Amino acid sequence: MDRFAAFKWQALFMDWRIFLEGLGRTASTAGLALLLSLALGVLFGMLATSPYRSGRSVNRLYVSLIQNTPLVTQIFFLFYALPHLKIMIPTSVVGVLGLGFYHGAYMSEVVRAGIQAIHRGQLEAALSQGFTYVQAMRYVILPQAAEVVLPPMTNQAVALIKNSSILAMISGGDLMFQADSWSASTGYYGPAYLTVWLIYFALCFPLTQLAKRWENKAARSRSGEVKVA
Amino acid sequence: MIEELAALAQWHNLRFLWQGLAVTLQISVLTIISSFVLGTILGIMRYSGHWLLGRLAAVYVEGFRASPLILLILLFRFTTPLKPVNSGTLAMSLFTAAIVAEVVRGGLNSVDKGQWEAARSQGFSWVQILRYVVLPQALRKMIPPLVGQFITVVKDTSYVWVTGVEELTGKGVIILGQYGSAVQFFAIFGTIGLVYYLLCWGLQRFGLFQERRMSWLTM
Amino acid sequence: MKRILGFMLSMAVLMSVLAGCGGAQSKSGDSGSEGSKALPAQVQKIKDRGVLKVGVKVDVPKFGYKDAAKNTHEGMEIDLAKRLAKEIFGDENKIELVGVNAKTRGPALDNGEIDLVIATFTITEERKKSWNFSDPYFVDNVGFLVKEDSGIKSWKDLNGKKIGVAQSASTKKALTEQAAKDGISVEFQEFATYPEIKAALDAGRVDAFSVDQSILWGYKDDKNEFLPEKFAPQEYGIASKKDNTELAQFVNDLLDSMEKSGDLDKLFEKWGLK
Repeated sequence: MDRFAAFKWQALFMDWRIFLEGLGRTASTAGLALLLSLALGVLFGMLATSPYRSGRSVNRLYVSLIQNTPLVTQIFFLFYALPHLKIMIPTSVVGVLGLGFYHGAYMSEVVRAGIQAIHRGQLEAALSQGFTYVQAMRYVILPQAAEVVLPPMTNQAVALIKNSSILAMISGGDLMFQADSWSASTGYYGPAYLTVWLIYFALCFPLTQLAKRWENKAARSRSGEVKVA
Repeated sequence: MIEELAALAQWHNLRFLWQGLAVTLQISVLTIISSFVLGTILGIMRYSGHWLLGRLAAVYVEGFRASPLILLILLFRFTTPLKPVNSGTLAMSLFTAAIVAEVVRGGLNSVDKGQWEAARSQGFSWVQILRYVVLPQALRKMIPPLVGQFITVVKDTSYVWVTGVEELTGKGVIILGQYGSAVQFFAIFGTIGLVYYLLCWGLQRFGLFQERRMSWLTM
Repeated sequence: MKRILGFMLSMAVLMSVLAGCGGAQSKSGDSGSEGSKALPAQVQKIKDRGVLKVGVKVDVPKFGYKDAAKNTHEGMEIDLAKRLAKEIFGDENKIELVGVNAKTRGPALDNGEIDLVIATFTITEERKKSWNFSDPYFVDNVGFLVKEDSGIKSWKDLNGKKIGVAQSASTKKALTEQAAKDGISVEFQEFATYPEIKAALDAGRVDAFSVDQSILWGYKDDKNEFLPEKFAPQEYGIASKKDNTELAQFVNDLLDSMEKSGDLDKLFEKWGLK
């Protein structure tokens, strides 16, 4: 248990500010990336179900390109390759863009599934009432789809928080990076990794529980419908 | 530009990348197999509702699901005497098993509970019901999320580079360190991206094929 | 009943996983000790196992370098490892070389994967609390690689610039102190591996690539150049796990005798390090 010797814990508590700073960066990066991924998810989810072929193709291209290559490669591309085209995105923005676009592709699949879960007849009914496609989405389909998409979206948010640790690979200053850097310079990796694991757990566990509760609720209301019918 | 690309497209560089691909494939295949086995067991444990087994599985799943993969890879690298590639595979397997367990549980839960009573009244045992009634129906529902997760496994092998394991991404970065021009950077990223794309796309096709092939199960 | 079966299956899987972890630590009994000299118990244990496991660099020319084409390790640190093997086994080929980097070398000692680290490992007070270090066998300086067209000509030109350093290297601390002394301010970016710092230099993410000069030589090309300054002498030592004190003593004694006999100097000459 030398790895967790008392003096190593003491050193960790002396440097608590470093870890707090990392947590701040993780929270801001994950928060902004989540907003971006939601926006992209709704946009591309609507494109996927749109009546226009070009919209559907754009969506397919985006989703397949993003989902079939690793996040690490995408982030490295933004970080190492783009500057050669004189596009120098600051490291913190690389994190937000990389994570936002990556999880946006998954979000769009969630939104698509949500929209498709709503009966097709409702869209047609809304369109026949003079709604435009966007209006029909906004006032009729999306509000109903929300219940279906909330649990998987929350799970995506959890995945995004965990994946934000990728910033550690590009000197991004997030929680994982600080733990890594601190333990690398002191050699006291035992307490550092354990502490960081606890922090990630505290961030992710409540969200997964929330998702589960919504899931159960949705399942109950669905089985309720069946009984009525 | 042609010269720069020619400098890159040498036999030893291609062989170097190929070695990385072999490592990526090795980690992927081992992780997929072991996480499928362990995840199925954990998923059934949780589904069973057994007071001890159910809880053990729950603790396992929630503990692993809430931690970033990079953290697990580093932790296993530093606390086990395994070779880096093996500790990375172990970390990925245990992490993925937690997610597979949730997929399995979700699949099992999607089968109407009424079938249990029906099958039990026919004299089936617990294992028989699971094996012949519930699992076949659940399996088909599980295939799309499982394939999605296994594609993620292939992509996430790139995280193992943090511990210095030279898989495909790592080999690419090492080559990046030896060449400095813009064209070469884009060529290297393009090559690596394409290889991952083909791997994942192939896996996706395979998943669709399996899903269709299994449609008889629910008939 | 069937649930118990499931439980036992899961246990079997867990056990096999755990057994995989513990396997490497099993000792190979105490076989015959036919050596002429009495070796300390910890060294004897290695001898009984039949192989000395050493963590070495694979990307530092002249020190520890793996030739990809020939698939062999070479460098003065590799020769040191061989010399140790010869001392223990009477056969310099009874070594297993494990590639390590700045980040993995310490933990690999702790978990028993390797017996010794001979990998441009700088001796620091902080590190001495975690591992045993031998007396220094080489002193190197921290140097700087910058892009030729960057206009940076000296250390002081780096004022307000970003410097790429390796995680777990002592460079950051040494440079912070030097910068304070010279009244300039620099910012650091940390990376796990050297190729990543080189790629960051090429991309312009960092303005200078700063690690020990021995390591920098591996990344010199026609687009970058060295700054004239070099700072912070870095003393390299051979490290072992904290409780392997006998092994550490054994290593230190050998280094001492090599220094006195001039064998160490011969090694430097062989690799052009003098």
